[in-house]
Amino acid sequence: MFTLQLKPSSSLLLFSLLSFNLVAQPPSSRAEVIPISGAIPDDAEIQKVIAPLAAEIKATFGLPLVGAPQGLFRGRRGEENLLGYWVADVMRKAAQGVIGAPVRFAITNAGGLRANLRPGQLKVADIFELMPFENEMVVIELTGAEIIQVVKEGLVRRGGEPCSGVLAKIEGTPELATLTVTWEDGSPIDPTATVKVATSDYLFGGGDSIPTLKQGRKPFTTGITLRQMLLDECAVMAKAKRDLLPPAPGRYTVPVPIQEAIRDKKFKL
Amino acid sequence: MDRRAFLASLGTAAVATQVPLRAAEGPAAASGRITLLHTNDTHSHIEPFGPGNGAISGLGGMARRATLVRQLRQQLGPVLLLDAGDTFQGTPYFNRYKGRLDYQLMRMVGYDAGTLGNHDFDNGVGMLVEAMEAMEGLKHPNPPFPFVNCNFDCKGAPALGKRIRPYLIREFPGIRVGLTGVGVAFAGLVAPKNHEGVTWRDPYESLNPIVKRLREVEKVDLVVVLSHLGYNTNGSAPDDLHLPGQVPGIDAIIGGHSHTFLETPTKVAQAQGETLVFQVGFGGVNLGRMDFAVARGAVRAASGAAMPVLG
Repeated sequence: MFTLQLKPSSSLLLFSLLSFNLVAQPPSSRAEVIPISGAIPDDAEIQKVIAPLAAEIKATFGLPLVGAPQGLFRGRRGEENLLGYWVADVMRKAAQGVIGAPVRFAITNAGGLRANLRPGQLKVADIFELMPFENEMVVIELTGAEIIQVVKEGLVRRGGEPCSGVLAKIEGTPELATLTVTWEDGSPIDPTATVKVATSDYLFGGGDSIPTLKQGRKPFTTGITLRQMLLDECAVMAKAKRDLLPPAPGRYTVPVPIQEAIRDKKFKL
Repeated sequence: MDRRAFLASLGTAAVATQVPLRAAEGPAAASGRITLLHTNDTHSHIEPFGPGNGAISGLGGMARRATLVRQLRQQLGPVLLLDAGDTFQGTPYFNRYKGRLDYQLMRMVGYDAGTLGNHDFDNGVGMLVEAMEAMEGLKHPNPPFPFVNCNFDCKGAPALGKRIRPYLIREFPGIRVGLTGVGVAFAGLVAPKNHEGVTWRDPYESLNPIVKRLREVEKVDLVVVLSHLGYNTNGSAPDDLHLPGQVPGIDAIIGGHSHTFLETPTKVAQAQGETLVFQVGFGGVNLGRMDFAVARGAVRAASGAAMPVLG
């Protein structure tokens, strides 16, 4: 505790001087951030409430979600990431629902998809395994030129990050390559047009080296985790008695020598 | 679990282990001190973050927060536990319990007041009111906590309107604290059907008369704003950093919305002195603490030194 050491007489003098100005006197303050770490024990009363509810939520992990007779896979070397395409498609659709406007493009990162969906009946736990992170979806605005740049950055770094809404094709050789990016129907992208884009807060924040995503404007943080969005989509499909099938391939077309150059980190565009 | 069974389960679990410090009545002392403890954007993170969440892995959790708050109340005496909004949305707890659990646990932890963020409207006004009702209906020795906001016009949503107060006063020995709140614009953040009956007003214009009233009529010693405007919008919208310049007379802004991790409050000069702007990330991984000492005619003194709070 801070105490002021003053003789009684000087204390009185100071008091009388200060008392002229008592209303204007500002409060003094100090502040800190206290991390809520594991070193702090749980409160028994609160924990008693949470524990059965947590168990209930965990019990739901075994609940069946939707049939996926072919499974969905991230793709091995040279194969397209159809699981990622599905996630990006769901992001785009969910984003449109949230903002009530067309969302032309969605992109996620392959590194954030932590497990394949094996063929058979999917359970809630499978989606948690696929997406253990609490990342949420963000809707931003980019120009057509920026979208092409985002696709390019994902290609050079990782051979093409899972996306929805565009087709990307590289032609030529590792030494002399050209990239063509169009909308999914093959129509050209107007570089000056501004469109809505769905991504994750992780990528928007600069994660995974797609720096152009950081330039996104008017970010709308949806608060919906990518995981919850996938769970909701599975529930919708199950209700409609539809199986979950992999999206068609063909979003990235990259010649094998260029794929190898990308893997060896020798490719530039 | 249906709502009744859920409430019953909470009721039986409730044990009178904690009675929060309420407004202390009695003759005003010559000086007083108060500790503001605060969270923002907890987003239904009732349990700690699991592994794989980077720097925040293993942090957070409401049961720990309750322990920490109880310890601090015991050590410090005059404490206000406050939240700057976006309690909802982010984990399966919200999808399953629709915010009722979040607010009920906040009451059990001993919150003194909260405000509303954009995500608290995610299930619409009706479900928000239901969550507030569930919190009010909980059998627990802690009183229900109120919500403060002065820039939502709730004329078209009376059930919500009667639960939101433009400001409130809490009195402790030697210090009167005025609390108010402001929320972010709905446009682009909350679907129109989800805020039906609630109209957003400019936060600066809404706050000015409230802060003036708190200072001049209510004669508070400390003005605290719970803000869900965001820390810094670079001038594109009202924010916490620009608030002091537009609304003088605020001592502390407890912020949210932008999930900003500040280590210390940002001091912003304003016409009547200085405003501390603070925000402590999101997901309940941190508890913010601001201590204020005020003097009424006595020499002003800094408050207690830092203390270990870990169990």
